[in-house]
Amino acid sequence: MLTSEGQPAPLPGGDVPGFTPAPPAAPEEIHPLKEQPANGSGEGHAKPRKAFPVIGIDYTHVRIPFEISLWILLACLMKLGFHVIPSVSSIVPESCLLIVVGLLVGGLIKGVGEKPPILKSDIFFLFLLPPIILDAGYFLPLRPFTENLGTILIFAVVGTLWNAFFLGGLMYAVCQLGGPGLNHIGLLANLLFGSIISAVDPVAVLAVFEEIHINELLHILVFGESLLNDAVTVVLYHLFEEFASFEQVTILDIILGFFSFFVVSLGGVLVGVIYGVIAAFTSRFTSHIRVIEPLFVFLYSYMAYLSAELFHLSGIMALIAAGVVMRPYVEANISHKSHTTIKYFLKMWSSVSETLIFIFLGVSTVAGHHYWNWTFVISTLFFCLIARVLGVLVLTWFINKFRIVKLTPKDQFIIAYGGLRGAIAFSLGYLLDYKHFGMRDMFLTAIITVIFFTVFVQGMTIRPLVDLLAVKKKQETKRSINEEIHTQFLDHLLTGIEDICGHYGHHHWKDKLNRFNKKYVKKCLIAGERSKEPQLIAFYHKMEMKQAIELVESGGIGKIPSAVSTVSIQNINPQSLPLERVLPALSKDKEEEIRKILRTNLQKTRQRLRSYNRHTLVADPYEEAWNQMLLRRQKARQLEQKMNNYLTVPAHRVDSPTMSRARIGSDPLAYEPKEDSENLPIITIDPASPQSPESVDLMSEEPKGCSGLPPSPEEDEEGLVMRVKEPSSPGTDDVFTPGASDSPSNQRMLRCLSDPGPRPEPEEGEPFIPKGQ
Amino acid sequence: KMFSDTAFVRDESQEDITTEHSVSHSQITRLYSRFTSLDKGENGTLSREDFQRIPELAINPLGDRIINAFFPEGEDQVNFRGFMRTLAHFRPIEDNEKSKDQNGPEPLNSRSNKLHFAFRLYDLDKDDKISRDELLQVLRMMVGVNISDEQLGSIADRTIQEADQDGDSAISFAEFVKVLEKVDVEQKMSIRFLH
Repeated sequence: MLTSEGQPAPLPGGDVPGFTPAPPAAPEEIHPLKEQPANGSGEGHAKPRKAFPVIGIDYTHVRIPFEISLWILLACLMKLGFHVIPSVSSIVPESCLLIVVGLLVGGLIKGVGEKPPILKSDIFFLFLLPPIILDAGYFLPLRPFTENLGTILIFAVVGTLWNAFFLGGLMYAVCQLGGPGLNHIGLLANLLFGSIISAVDPVAVLAVFEEIHINELLHILVFGESLLNDAVTVVLYHLFEEFASFEQVTILDIILGFFSFFVVSLGGVLVGVIYGVIAAFTSRFTSHIRVIEPLFVFLYSYMAYLSAELFHLSGIMALIAAGVVMRPYVEANISHKSHTTIKYFLKMWSSVSETLIFIFLGVSTVAGHHYWNWTFVISTLFFCLIARVLGVLVLTWFINKFRIVKLTPKDQFIIAYGGLRGAIAFSLGYLLDYKHFGMRDMFLTAIITVIFFTVFVQGMTIRPLVDLLAVKKKQETKRSINEEIHTQFLDHLLTGIEDICGHYGHHHWKDKLNRFNKKYVKKCLIAGERSKEPQLIAFYHKMEMKQAIELVESGGIGKIPSAVSTVSIQNINPQSLPLERVLPALSKDKEEEIRKILRTNLQKTRQRLRSYNRHTLVADPYEEAWNQMLLRRQKARQLEQKMNNYLTVPAHRVDSPTMSRARIGSDPLAYEPKEDSENLPIITIDPASPQSPESVDLMSEEPKGCSGLPPSPEEDEEGLVMRVKEPSSPGTDDVFTPGASDSPSNQRMLRCLSDPGPRPEPEEGEPFIPKGQ
Repeated sequence: KMFSDTAFVRDESQEDITTEHSVSHSQITRLYSRFTSLDKGENGTLSREDFQRIPELAINPLGDRIINAFFPEGEDQVNFRGFMRTLAHFRPIEDNEKSKDQNGPEPLNSRSNKLHFAFRLYDLDKDDKISRDELLQVLRMMVGVNISDEQLGSIADRTIQEADQDGDSAISFAEFVKVLEKVDVEQKMSIRFLH
């Protein structure tokens, strides 16, 4: 119970009278248990002493972290609960349910007599918002975003400006006509209110649009708009806030305001790009300390956000820019595990953040002071909707002149309807100063009403409307290698045609950027050989890797064909275990041994339900399996040389690791057949892993591969060749028994996949795609 | 001379070109001036060397094939009409065009014709199939020299495997179309200024 200075620490249960921190004196005073008669050097031990408290309560000590944890736990339990009761969540979007929960909790707290916490703007902007934005920015689908950038920018900038001024102006008119209660609200205050309420909120849009699986174009249009309008909102907000404290607004101020828009947006992007480049550069050197790689990504992004906020630049744009810039280079440099970590952490944080935000919105509604003014609130709501619809209509008419693929009226409706307001508006309103804005409570009430309306009414009805209007839904397909190749092909083709026409269009500049990237940037920011890897190859590797992972996760290790002396392709009955089938010319006891080894060492993989949600988490049991196999392989490695004699295999061929991986990937029979697809754990990586269409060919392959052909040189083309190794010692229990010809290259592949972290193994620190040879 | 050439085009072929490809007057004028600026020999036709003089085309991996696409079978010169004809494939598809003229010949910039144009760039021997070798050639051009043959081979194999449905180890036009059904070809293969 002693503090470092030797003074008695406050005992649990508060200070015991007579034991207040005394100056370090004789030890007998400090020790409470010692019943010393001569403890008085004037200390008041004459008072009756409590017995030593065995258990005590000190809530104040842990109060803040405890409450925070409780809230987060509540949020997570709520999320859990919604999925347990599927019927409700199919009608009502999660965000609505969470707000209701927040209302209930807030009511509960108020009922108990405590003051429920309000969503403070600091907490919101500094802690709750960044994870969501980073998640969105890091995984932003770049191609549709850049293709539609013009449209998105026009909606974000012009649309928001229009909304703000239209709404502000109309509300001013309403206030003037609205009688004594509203007359005193000036134009500037109304304009400020308009600018707060006019911005489409990324959190709300994400929450609602995620569940309706709308097609990519509409999704990126609305979502991109919600992200990019942050700059406009920031500028307008600060502008009007400052102006409200001026006596007079001059033209100069307006012009400065206009310039500040460019400064805020471009400055934000610049800050983001700088941090993104630094992060990419840092990741180049992390090959020895893989464990903290994800931390670099998070920290640099967060610093970008904070730095931008520091200078009153647009933090959201900085965060998005940082994520977008760093991603291709960081992903080329970091290990596979780090990539997975980043993905999961981002999804986890953003998911929790989102939940917390909505819950707190509910709680704040209950907790806040409200001032309900029918005229103001109803007209706000009404004009918000009108402004949005008008804005979208006019802008689309203008934009369609320049678009190749025009926006149909259906698209326009969804865009207008998807303009949801959310917590950003609330927080901005909350930041308002009472001094300048006495009607803050009324503003807040109106803001909350609009938020509730958009989230509840529009959020709930958008799904049936999407179905009713038969809007194109998102196609849940993964990008195939065909698409990738042909898209690149078309890119080159179009660039060539543009050059022939002398027209410097979209493709021309994209091509120039790619060339610049390849020539200069990649060399700086990507470590080692990967800097020279063409995009197509990188994509192919990624795809192969994912399929290999899927293969392992689905227990495919046992299904990889193991041939003894003959060709690898065997007839696989996909439903049954491979060991049940007829193996040519394998002696009985050898077969038994193989079976025993495989059965005892095969890891059981967990199967997960497929559910599309950007928050889906899938376990990676393959990693443990690979690690174990790696260990065992190393044990048996010394014995491999001797094994060659037992095997009737072709001469050892050293292949590049990419080749071996490619071989693994191209083996059609190594894939899980589609019949089990609902049991396949789905890896929701972006780009999502491709299906294995060739697995359907499994059946047709069956008759082909039955014959006992002698090993031919083409064998290596057929994929992973598994040969049985005679274990030379009983202790050798290889789970994974690849043929000798595969061993070094498989070794490398295993190492790539498993990438052990802190264990001191040779060459452990390779990135998940090793340097080519 | 240029003026008379322009007049020549305007009088005789413009009507045809306008109606055939639905290109506007201003577009034709622009493209014709580009045509003449490329035509260094000033004989009203372009040869392959004229195309190869365009610097960006030289570094384009598909440069040669694109140039070849302009020249009809066996010929070495292309006139303005042929030039326009090829470029007409890349006109954006108008909404109002989609419904009209169902019984007339399919316009050059329909989705199917656009894809056919791309397909022909793959299929050099014109057997209506993209064989493994043809695919390998294209891959090699796009990917550069650093990648080994085996790796490209496995990518090519994988590609054909994915697309091939009739089992002939080659990609026919129908399979090509199917594979690209998710790609927004109308947008991807359109150049805005040919509008």
